[in-house]
Amino acid sequence: MSSVKLRGVRKSFGSVEVIKGVDLDIDSKEFVVFVGPSGCGKTTLLRMIAGLEGITTGDLEIGDARMNEVDPSKRGIAMVFQSYALYPHMTVRENMGFALRFARVPKDEIARQVEGAARILALEPLLNRFPKELSGGQRQRVAIGRAIVRQPEVFLFDEPLSNLDAELRVHMRIEIARLHKELKTTIVYVTHDQVEAMTLADKIVVLRDGIIEQVGRPLDLYDDPANQFVAGFIGSPKMNFLSAQVKEVGSGGVTIGLVNEGDASLRMPVAPNGTKVGDTVTLGIRPEHFGDAGQGGADLTVAVDVAEHLGSTSYIYANTTSSEQIIIEREESRSEIGMDQVTVSISAEKAFLFDQNGVRLR
Amino acid sequence: MAEDALETRGRQVTRSNLARSEQFNGWAFVMPALVLLGIFMVYPILWSLWMSFQVGRGMNFSFGGLANIIRLTQDPVFLRALSNTMLFLAVQVPIMLILALLCASALNDSKLWGRGFFRTAIFLPCVTSLVAYAVVFKSMFAQDGILNQMLMGLNFISGPIPWFSDPFWAKAVIISAITWRWTGYNMIFYLAAMQNIDRSIYEAARIDGVPAWARFWYITVPMLKPVILFTTVISTIGTLQLFDEPNLLTQGGPSDSTLTLSMYIYNLSFRFMPSFGYAATVSYVIVVLVGILSFLQFLAARDRRR
Amino acid sequence: MSNPIALLGRTAQYVLLSFAAFISIFPFFWMAVGATNTSPDIVRGKATPGSALLTNIVTFFTSEDLPRVLFNSFFIAGVGTVLTLLVSSLAGYGFEIFRSRVREKVFGGMLLMLSIPFAALMIPLFVMMANLKLINTYQAIILPTVASIFIIFYFRQATKAFPTELRDAARIDGLKEWQIFLHVYMPVMRSTYAAATIIVFMTHWNNYLWPLIVLQTNDMKVLTLVVASLTSAYNPNYGTVMVGAIVATLPTLVIFFLLQRRFVEGMLGAVK
Repeated sequence: MSSVKLRGVRKSFGSVEVIKGVDLDIDSKEFVVFVGPSGCGKTTLLRMIAGLEGITTGDLEIGDARMNEVDPSKRGIAMVFQSYALYPHMTVRENMGFALRFARVPKDEIARQVEGAARILALEPLLNRFPKELSGGQRQRVAIGRAIVRQPEVFLFDEPLSNLDAELRVHMRIEIARLHKELKTTIVYVTHDQVEAMTLADKIVVLRDGIIEQVGRPLDLYDDPANQFVAGFIGSPKMNFLSAQVKEVGSGGVTIGLVNEGDASLRMPVAPNGTKVGDTVTLGIRPEHFGDAGQGGADLTVAVDVAEHLGSTSYIYANTTSSEQIIIEREESRSEIGMDQVTVSISAEKAFLFDQNGVRLR
Repeated sequence: MAEDALETRGRQVTRSNLARSEQFNGWAFVMPALVLLGIFMVYPILWSLWMSFQVGRGMNFSFGGLANIIRLTQDPVFLRALSNTMLFLAVQVPIMLILALLCASALNDSKLWGRGFFRTAIFLPCVTSLVAYAVVFKSMFAQDGILNQMLMGLNFISGPIPWFSDPFWAKAVIISAITWRWTGYNMIFYLAAMQNIDRSIYEAARIDGVPAWARFWYITVPMLKPVILFTTVISTIGTLQLFDEPNLLTQGGPSDSTLTLSMYIYNLSFRFMPSFGYAATVSYVIVVLVGILSFLQFLAARDRRR
Repeated sequence: MSNPIALLGRTAQYVLLSFAAFISIFPFFWMAVGATNTSPDIVRGKATPGSALLTNIVTFFTSEDLPRVLFNSFFIAGVGTVLTLLVSSLAGYGFEIFRSRVREKVFGGMLLMLSIPFAALMIPLFVMMANLKLINTYQAIILPTVASIFIIFYFRQATKAFPTELRDAARIDGLKEWQIFLHVYMPVMRSTYAAATIIVFMTHWNNYLWPLIVLQTNDMKVLTLVVASLTSAYNPNYGTVMVGAIVATLPTLVIFFLLQRRFVEGMLGAVK
């Protein structure tokens, strides 16, 4: 199984640069997920690895060999497409064996490989059907089967679950995770869904506007985001961001006051990193990290807009005095039912502080 | 050091193999068509443009400047052919397209009984061989033929209509023949486009209480506008080039009353003593007319969109 | 259907369609009946089957070297259709899949040429064929019609509905571009080809003006020319010509009915 290396990779369409210099190491057998909002360049980056898009500048290595100019079929990759891209005029069997036919593999060997892949994916009863006779989930499995048959060094997945309904998506997600365990290949997986990224990845690559914002293990990104963008992108529901003003800068940290919240101030144990008194900063706190009133560094009283009680968890959508919307998550809580106002606390250890440019202050 | 080497290599913006092969393949796929079009279309167009400034008979010609254009304005036969062609265009194209649109909207109804039969039947005329339908029409429109008998039987007319010997009725024969042949063809375009319109739009309009005629006029017609424009342009081009029907049904007669521009070009080139230069000039009249009319139609379609 | 206005609408719908269908089909009926009648009967408007069918068939089939004429027609239409579909679909695919600024300009220029009437081309084409000594040959008939701008445009429109991910998948599966065209594009787009086959075969088979100019000897004549010359005689034998008309119509009818199901599908793809 191969590693993948990207060095200073850039891509322009005409005068528009969509990938603005990417350096990345993907280790052998690693499950790497590219995640980011639409238009961030994640699919383009995947297609560049596949050889479907040219690389404007920079280098791509797969298994220690430079691949920039190598034909897609000779890169040792296989790809699963968002629309599955099954050939509609061929049966499942022909779809899965198509690549081998053009690699001049003998017929009986093709049959053996196809049967093998079909067994892994429980596709044997479907081998003689046409794609239009299959359900969405079955098509998805055939697309994966077609990739497996080629015995690639690297699997590429382009938003493979986005055309499935919610239930099937969870099911296929688990199937893909199982498959990775079984096949032990390198996988590069593109998605816009951070839940897929968190559950599947060994390593997440967060992209925005053609630039890597952060690379790391899923929980590291959750616990220790590098900037406001990553903090907001990873985690569900999203992290709350509150505007704040720097009141005091000392050796032990920065003291901030929340805008329009009167005396409520919080001392964050971070290095100021050039931030001065009076600067506007952003305080980030995840919905699940609000404490009960009086238990943290600062209390915040908010007006309840809508409350959703799901039994084990409750989500409270509320507005601060300066009309910033926040979400509060509560476990096994019944006390907020019917209340117009809620007071919660923010503790410095659970909160993050970002400067005006969105860079995290540590 | 290694990093630096990589940097420099990376900065050279070279066209990748991929981009080069895309370019190569792009030209390779279109080349056969372009070569053929170059030989059998572009070259003849340029040749006839040059010819239209030549005067003389047969293969002996000399530069005549604008002589051919002056001859056009004084040539009664040309003016007759031009007015005939424009009349065919102005009468036939609107009738045909409206009929096609009506038939298509009547057919665009999944609850309609016998839908497949009607669609096939109305489309069938355009599948026929041109010469075959010419002979059929010629015999049907004969002086004592089936059509006159039917019309007289239904008491629409008292005596037989002289279809081919009266200038007015000869034109009517040509117009009904073309309309018969091409209405179904245009209808299929409309029908295909109508089936692409989301059914729920009509359902929403019905719930909003929009009557059927308004659904047709305010939903179907605007959404079909690109197809209507397309068929209008195609039909205009077809009618301006009209040759086969008059040549087979009326031979341009009686007394040139159904002579079209294309027939006149043919006569100038192959029937009389060939006058290629003048014929080329007449053919450019059609090119100019098609250009002007297509442009006006595009303009009209755009204005209505505003 | 309790609503009287709706009932009225439905009635109008059926009246319109029945009328249109009657008008459309009657000439076919007339052609079939005419083939069984004598010429005077046809001109007299006799709409019932007669007994002259055999005589008409014999007269028509002995009027010219008909096997030769039929061969010419089928050969020209068959070869012409295959070449037109191949060349034009290659170009339509090429223009849509491999985009470049220069080719877009070329395509725009081509669309402008769509409005050039054949009448404007026939003189120079005739002179060109004469210079190339191709007058009275199959090539002279077939070659000028092979690259059809209309069919190229049609294929380009239809290709917009061809999923590009299929091409990507095929590239990863190791197919060269021509193999993708042959093994993926052509089978996937069969409906488009079916619709185009009807249109293209019809144009080649029914072509009249250009053969009239270029084909000059009897052994090269095509069916349209034979039927036309029988029709434009001063006093045509209608019974015989009706047989000819049926022979000239049957092939296109057969092709239409064979491909009809795919035809509407194919048109649908092109109009989108």
